[in-house]
Amino acid sequence: MNKKTLLISTFLILFFGSSFLNFSTLKHTQSLEMVEQQFQTGLTDLKNKILDYHTLAHQAASSPTYLAQLQEAHLATRLSFKKIEFLLEYLDHPSIKKELNGAPLPTVEKKVPEVRIIEPIGLQVLDEIVFGEAPLAEKEEIERLTELLVKGFSSIYNYQYNIPINHRHIFESIRFELIRIVSLGVTGFDTPGSGNAIPEAIVAMGSIEGAFQAYYPIVEKKDAELAERIVSNFAEAIEYLRVHNDFDSFDRMHFLVDYVNPLFKDILAAHRITGIEMIHEVNNMPQPINYKAEHIFDEDLLNPSFYAGFNLDEAAELKRVALGKLLFFDPVLSGNHERACASCHKPELGFTDGQRTSLAANGKGHILRNSPTIINSVFAEKYFYDLREEFLERQMKHVVLDALEFDTDFFEIVEKLEKSQEYRQLFEEAYPKYSISKWSISNALSAYVASLTAFNSPFDQYVKGDKTAISPAAIRGFNLFMGKGACATCHFAPTFSGLVPPRYRESESEVLGIPATPDTLRPTLDKDLGRAANAVPLDETQFYVHSFKTPTIRNIALTAPYMHNGVYRTLEEVMDFYNKGGGAGMGLDVPYQTLPDAPLNLTKSEIADMISFMETLTDTTGLTTMPKVLPKFDQEGQWNKRVIGGTY
Amino acid sequence: MKRFLSTLFVLTLVVVAANAQTIFSEEIELPDDYTPLQVIMPPSPLTLQVLFVGGHDIVETTKTYGNPAGRNIAKEWHDFIGFTPDRTGASLGWVSVNHEMIYRDDKIGDGGGMTAFRVERDPITGLLHVMDQRLEDGRQGQFFNVDFVNTVGETGMNCGGISSTFDGRIWTAEEWFRTSNGSIYNGSVRGNPGGSAPIMSTNDRANSGVRDTSDFVVDSDIQGWDGQTLAKYQNFNYMVEIDPKQAKAIRKQYNWGRMGWEGGVVTNDNRTVFLGPDATPGFWMRFVADQPGDFTEGTMYVYKHDSDDKWVEIAHSVDNMLNLQDRAVAAGGTMYNRPEWVAHDPSTNLVYWTETGRDFPGGRWADEAAEGAVYDPYHVARAAAQGLSSPGDDGYRDTYGRVWVFDPNLNTNYVLLEGGPDWDNADSPPTNAYFGKHLSNPDGLNVMKIDGQSFLVIQEDLNGTSYGRMPAGVSNRTCEVYLLNLAIENPTIEDLIRLTAVPRGAEVTGAIPTPDGKSLLINSQHPSSDNDFPWNHSLTFAIHGFDRVNVEDLADSNPFNTNPDELKAGTGAATADAAFTAFPNPTTRTLFFNKTTDVAVYDIRGKRVQVAQNVSQLDVSTLAKGMYFVQNAKGELIQIAIQ
Repeated sequence: MNKKTLLISTFLILFFGSSFLNFSTLKHTQSLEMVEQQFQTGLTDLKNKILDYHTLAHQAASSPTYLAQLQEAHLATRLSFKKIEFLLEYLDHPSIKKELNGAPLPTVEKKVPEVRIIEPIGLQVLDEIVFGEAPLAEKEEIERLTELLVKGFSSIYNYQYNIPINHRHIFESIRFELIRIVSLGVTGFDTPGSGNAIPEAIVAMGSIEGAFQAYYPIVEKKDAELAERIVSNFAEAIEYLRVHNDFDSFDRMHFLVDYVNPLFKDILAAHRITGIEMIHEVNNMPQPINYKAEHIFDEDLLNPSFYAGFNLDEAAELKRVALGKLLFFDPVLSGNHERACASCHKPELGFTDGQRTSLAANGKGHILRNSPTIINSVFAEKYFYDLREEFLERQMKHVVLDALEFDTDFFEIVEKLEKSQEYRQLFEEAYPKYSISKWSISNALSAYVASLTAFNSPFDQYVKGDKTAISPAAIRGFNLFMGKGACATCHFAPTFSGLVPPRYRESESEVLGIPATPDTLRPTLDKDLGRAANAVPLDETQFYVHSFKTPTIRNIALTAPYMHNGVYRTLEEVMDFYNKGGGAGMGLDVPYQTLPDAPLNLTKSEIADMISFMETLTDTTGLTTMPKVLPKFDQEGQWNKRVIGGTY
Repeated sequence: MKRFLSTLFVLTLVVVAANAQTIFSEEIELPDDYTPLQVIMPPSPLTLQVLFVGGHDIVETTKTYGNPAGRNIAKEWHDFIGFTPDRTGASLGWVSVNHEMIYRDDKIGDGGGMTAFRVERDPITGLLHVMDQRLEDGRQGQFFNVDFVNTVGETGMNCGGISSTFDGRIWTAEEWFRTSNGSIYNGSVRGNPGGSAPIMSTNDRANSGVRDTSDFVVDSDIQGWDGQTLAKYQNFNYMVEIDPKQAKAIRKQYNWGRMGWEGGVVTNDNRTVFLGPDATPGFWMRFVADQPGDFTEGTMYVYKHDSDDKWVEIAHSVDNMLNLQDRAVAAGGTMYNRPEWVAHDPSTNLVYWTETGRDFPGGRWADEAAEGAVYDPYHVARAAAQGLSSPGDDGYRDTYGRVWVFDPNLNTNYVLLEGGPDWDNADSPPTNAYFGKHLSNPDGLNVMKIDGQSFLVIQEDLNGTSYGRMPAGVSNRTCEVYLLNLAIENPTIEDLIRLTAVPRGAEVTGAIPTPDGKSLLINSQHPSSDNDFPWNHSLTFAIHGFDRVNVEDLADSNPFNTNPDELKAGTGAATADAAFTAFPNPTTRTLFFNKTTDVAVYDIRGKRVQVAQNVSQLDVSTLAKGMYFVQNAKGELIQIAIQ
């Protein structure tokens, strides 16, 4: 031992004082083995169900009960899947999505130098066909799909059967499954044809209850009340699902508030109490979900730093957020010194501008699309309506260079900002090493944008326990939104945007067939190609034609007009559009519409309820203040007369 | 399998029993009289230096599209790095960096492109210094846009390339095979139901394709090509030689043909070039120049393993070269699944190349097989092992990829290192034999001499995260850089040495050693979402200090016992009763234990910060400098000082 370590060791002994060595040697082997056994049994059962399904699919459809048998086999396969979904998904989501339970939509193969379309396969595709209008007419397709299902699942089975599972995986996967049940399960997301969502939710809920039961003795020993509460909540939730098993009338609000939320919180408490390590102790990569969040609608469930690509707390500490706010409201950034970011993103309008499409710089017509809210906009995989930009920090570049927007470049901006002693100082403080540059300007702005998060609307207050926060109409509206209205199968909780739970890593876009004008009698399709023309090589595909990012509906009451082209002035018009089955439902030719073209058959009062719900999603608390003054310029006196927040 | 690896804190060699997982206290306290064993992890001999930040540093541009020569912010998506040694000794040499993108730019030029700069080594600090230069065309500065627009025409998606091990000549490769003018122009959608004309989606100058789609008239010293009129898209997808010293392109290598090239090498005779295109099927191609060093004349061949001399000539004609893939199929060439980078070891003249793999290649090469192209027997054998009649079956899986060798003496391709381990085809491994190391989708490749020994530098670029390419429950896509000692015969994945000096989460590519052997230049292509500036940009950085590393420093085996079974059983050198102890390897930032055990790492305040199950070594590269405690399943403590 050298001198240095000796010193350190002496220091440590002093530091730790007179306490004693204490470590846990508890082994929860039995609990883990029990879950592993459940999982392996489940894998084998699913393998057999798939084989049965496959065998039946390949039999002649001669018997009059054949279709009923086939449908039964399909449902049985899905229920068997739901029994182990929580672990299957947790352990290897991409393979489950690709081969077993992905959305019935084509995708593009990633990481290859060509556009290679992957046709969807798996249980959701089968769900649509087997419970479709004429399943037997598509018998060959059913045969093909069940064949692929057997092949695909055999790989999954081989890979997952003996996969080492850790204690923490079980607690984490239970909590992810709770999010999945409430956001993708009871909304009907993965049962597009059969509508068998509630029975599936019963099985899924039962499966995670089973996993928890394995750990019950350990939790009970530490906190009997907690263990008991979890078990009885599971039982009540399942009982509630059993009794109220009608898809349209199922009370999703009650299910969420009284069962799922408490369980989400208590399973975390149980995880903590066992002393089992958490994900951040095993993997220090930033995660989209803050695992320690107690509530699905907690303000800190989603981690803005993960999406922004930098540590937001640090950015705030370094006064980068504050500097970004000044820049956001400063028209000196634009070529003509009239436009600020805030020109089109006005705080009082939920950071939109109330225009169909924003006015172009120098009044030269309009830009292509409607100004979206930027509150909670950080929570996305990609940015812009056409999903063209992967990084929030690079988002600004598009606005700066666009001839119809800022119409300038970063050289000009840097040169201008450097003429202000005040700006120089602010940048020096926030970016001591890098000062004023394209990066520091973009980073400061994105830090401000990332700080604009809000999850404390009346709706959020209600789901977190304030029973007076919203009206009965809004509650009815939430239930319709999550169920019959089929809104939540694209506008996912908790952002109510296309950010897919429970991994929250992917932003979806949809083809709705949005018309060019509000005229519902003689509709014409809006010409904007959307995502297909975003110049991202892998998005150059037909099924992304007219595809647009699914925006958040939070703060929707403030952000009219609606849609990428601002075609609808009111939420009534928007709801009417969806109620008719979108563009295709109105008779437009929209070959790749992702929205079902069948009418939703929502009544006027149902629509009113849904709008009431949407109106409870307003929260701009603390976000709407503008800077009182902008930094001064030393020489350019006329620049000091610029308008805070810019003008149009 | 990175299940226990790398992006995690931990590297597992042996798993004892998955079930007996220790639950460690969240906090520990030390008694007065307790003095744990102390282990010091000295600082790594390897250090990092950022050289060139895309989207941030300024490049000097030439007169382009009617705009005067000037400056602009450099393009991004760094991929290949070329290094041209300075024979005069006035500097270390010239670095050229690919930009793998299709991007409209008024000053740099549309499409992809390259940036060139010159470096010298500071004799005192050992750091590299980007030199100020004045080029013949009058441009002055540090970073220079390589002029393609005014020389050979724009390039697109500059991915890999050739950095000649003979004399440092540089070629850039243009993958992403283009099939129409629409496909090099913004917003083209094949079969667009709204009409076939490309429609500009926005007025956004930051985000468009190639503006000039008029016919291209070739001006070239390659016989038969001068004066040829090509549709503009046909002027893409070549190997393109550049002059990194004057930052301008020299020629598109029309006589090597038009393919979605990814990588290549010039071998020791300075005549023979080996090339691979990133495609399924991808063919293994060879060009032999008539005269050493003059690549404007020579003969093109496609590898055909089942022909007499393994190579079939493809006669040089404009038509053949424009349709090289079709000709390779017609010649019955041997097919591969996405060949990527090619590397060359001048000391043996062996050629190494990566086949990055593709999850389901079946549908991609069955047609070509029907037209006469053949599968490499390796793929035929793999398909058979999967119970399939042919690699053309839709169910054929090639999830992990592999590294090949072409031996010019044997005149044949063979697999050096299979990716995986691949558990798709048999029952998954029992929990007590689960693997610790995993190689997925090798892509970038180079050869580097360390301590006189040749190492392969293998860079992953994951095609996906399924089937163990990332650990369970973790979907951050993370690509690793591995070193492989080429002296090892029949290497396995266990022989890979993870280069922990590479920032966590960075997607790395382009690795190339400096000629003095002291540094490895690497591109971080894809910004890492969890590193602050400049690590959240595409950038070129150097890892210095390889001259201070010897082969033993890179040993990645447990010094306590080389037999994992004995280590597991606690027999051999380390008995079950032996006190818990550890041995540090500062170069690989690995702490080796004398037994396989669950461990928890505690910080100086006694707070648990990291947990790992069933490990005999621990990667500490992600721990900040300072004092920690490592506790094993029996409760024994080691104190580690990370320096």
